[in-house]
Amino acid sequence: MSNAFAMIAIWLGAVALNTVLARRAGRLPSVLVPMIFGATILVLWEMACRRLAVPAVILPAPSQIWSAFAGNLPLLWGDFVQTILKGALSGWLIGAALAVVTAIAIDRSPFLQRGLLPIGNFVAALPIVGVAPILVMWFGFDWQSKAAVVVVMVFFPILVNMVAGLKATDALARDQIATWGASYAQALVKLRLPAALPFLFNGLKITTTLALIGAIVAEFFGSPTRGMGFRISTAVGQLDMALVWAEILVAALSGTLFYGIVALTEKRLTFWHPSQRQ
Amino acid sequence: MKTFLISAGVMALMAGAASAADDLTLQLKWVTQAQFGGYYVAKDKGFYEEEGLNVTIKPGGPDIAPVQVLAGGGADVTVEWMPAALAAREKGLPIVNIAQPFKKSGMMLTCLKESGVTDPKADFKGKTLGVWFSGNEYPFLSWMNHLGLATDGSPEGVTVLKQGFNVDPLLQKQAACISTMTYNEYWQVIDAGIAAEDLVTFKYEEQGVATLEDGLYVLEEKLGDPAMEDKLVRFVRASMKGWKYAEEHPEEAAEIVLENDETGAQTIEHQTRMAGEIAKLTAGSSGALDEADYQRTVDTLLSGGSDPVISKAPDGAWSHAITDKALN
Repeated sequence: MSNAFAMIAIWLGAVALNTVLARRAGRLPSVLVPMIFGATILVLWEMACRRLAVPAVILPAPSQIWSAFAGNLPLLWGDFVQTILKGALSGWLIGAALAVVTAIAIDRSPFLQRGLLPIGNFVAALPIVGVAPILVMWFGFDWQSKAAVVVVMVFFPILVNMVAGLKATDALARDQIATWGASYAQALVKLRLPAALPFLFNGLKITTTLALIGAIVAEFFGSPTRGMGFRISTAVGQLDMALVWAEILVAALSGTLFYGIVALTEKRLTFWHPSQRQ
Repeated sequence: MKTFLISAGVMALMAGAASAADDLTLQLKWVTQAQFGGYYVAKDKGFYEEEGLNVTIKPGGPDIAPVQVLAGGGADVTVEWMPAALAAREKGLPIVNIAQPFKKSGMMLTCLKESGVTDPKADFKGKTLGVWFSGNEYPFLSWMNHLGLATDGSPEGVTVLKQGFNVDPLLQKQAACISTMTYNEYWQVIDAGIAAEDLVTFKYEEQGVATLEDGLYVLEEKLGDPAMEDKLVRFVRASMKGWKYAEEHPEEAAEIVLENDETGAQTIEHQTRMAGEIAKLTAGSSGALDEADYQRTVDTLLSGGSDPVISKAPDGAWSHAITDKALN
């Protein structure tokens, strides 16, 4: 009983502190509030695990997860390189490039618009658990097949956004640039591609997480003996849950970083767009 | 009103009879198939009922670690391979073998003859081998330790592929050899159109590195509870009756398994063949764990190398308490 009281007391204390802080304006509270929230979650988790004697094979405490993380850095780095850098990132770049080129082709020709968009739609609807084993069969067990899964997953969201982006200019601007004697290519580069950037970045931001999920899950269907998906699925079988959670931590950190880099690039490139105004 | 009262009384009696049976949940290691025929036979033939048990059989699958289900309280008993069970015990989860219906191991490596593998000692070096993980990698790792081959992909050792639960890597020639069970994946290779004479197989039994498979495990604390112990005694007795029946009537066992398969993925041909192969593995086991087999399993797993499966001989990892009462 005292366990529950202690935990509720800590929680209420943290809530009270955050409520007070949140009423104050300024830079410091805006940083402190989420940090206090996160720390409270971790403290309560740790307390629950220790005091209720939760078996480590069900849910390890944050301290165990941290020691698994700190003690396996070389292993985790190797998995990160295999899955994120080789599988997810290369797949994401290839998928994005293909989607942009396809979007321009669709924009250029109504014939392709009628033919390609439905196919893109169809590809988007394929479930990863169905596609992954087939692609592993085609592209082998290493990262190439994971990159292929990521291409399939990210292609369509970027395509749809890019097609919408190319339609984003109004007739007035298009007429204006035509009166200056711009060719199709010039109009595309000078006017329509920049106008499409906010849309493109929407697609790119959405697909950062999709790329991670795709690369990790694809490793469940066959992989060399390294990679985050491999480690997660095998460590569960070995009841090494602390290592599983350490991998989840790596995935969360890399996902945040990946998204952050894309968002930062967007800020730099689309500073003129109303959504970026401070 | 009168009929209502009578029927209500009958209902109450029936409910009483139903609740008189003790509930017990069994977690299988894998999907519903003839590998677990004995349990399905015991259920459908009423052997569990005769013992006053109401047994729920939960199929497993590629994403289910049976030991974890046991730890989480999702099942009372689980079917597991001994290497995974001992590894879990060393990880601090006290599970105990209470019965061992399988006498022999059905594990083997199946290789394409064209890959030129004839002798494990000489020919595995530098080859790519498909291995199952999720706790099934332990027997393989022990064997490689025996052969003195590293499993990290170095040129002096072997390259390990994490094989999905299918035989594609062999058909695609992505691996020289893959893990197969005598009763399941081997036949999938044959069914895929590769002739038996184009294959070379190495049974773990024949390589002297066989480890016990498909034993029954419970959490240690359950054995301390007399009521639970009594339930387990009845469960093991009925299960072994089911196993011996399945051994003698493999066709019927296969039919029973098929009736219980909710996925509809199994075929009668495959299940009949599997039941026949499983019968060879259960033959010679009364259900009681043979200490010599246990010792051989432990020695195999302890056998040095860089990456031993268990670091020290386990203590109290099996008990004859249940089988002694159940089988005599």
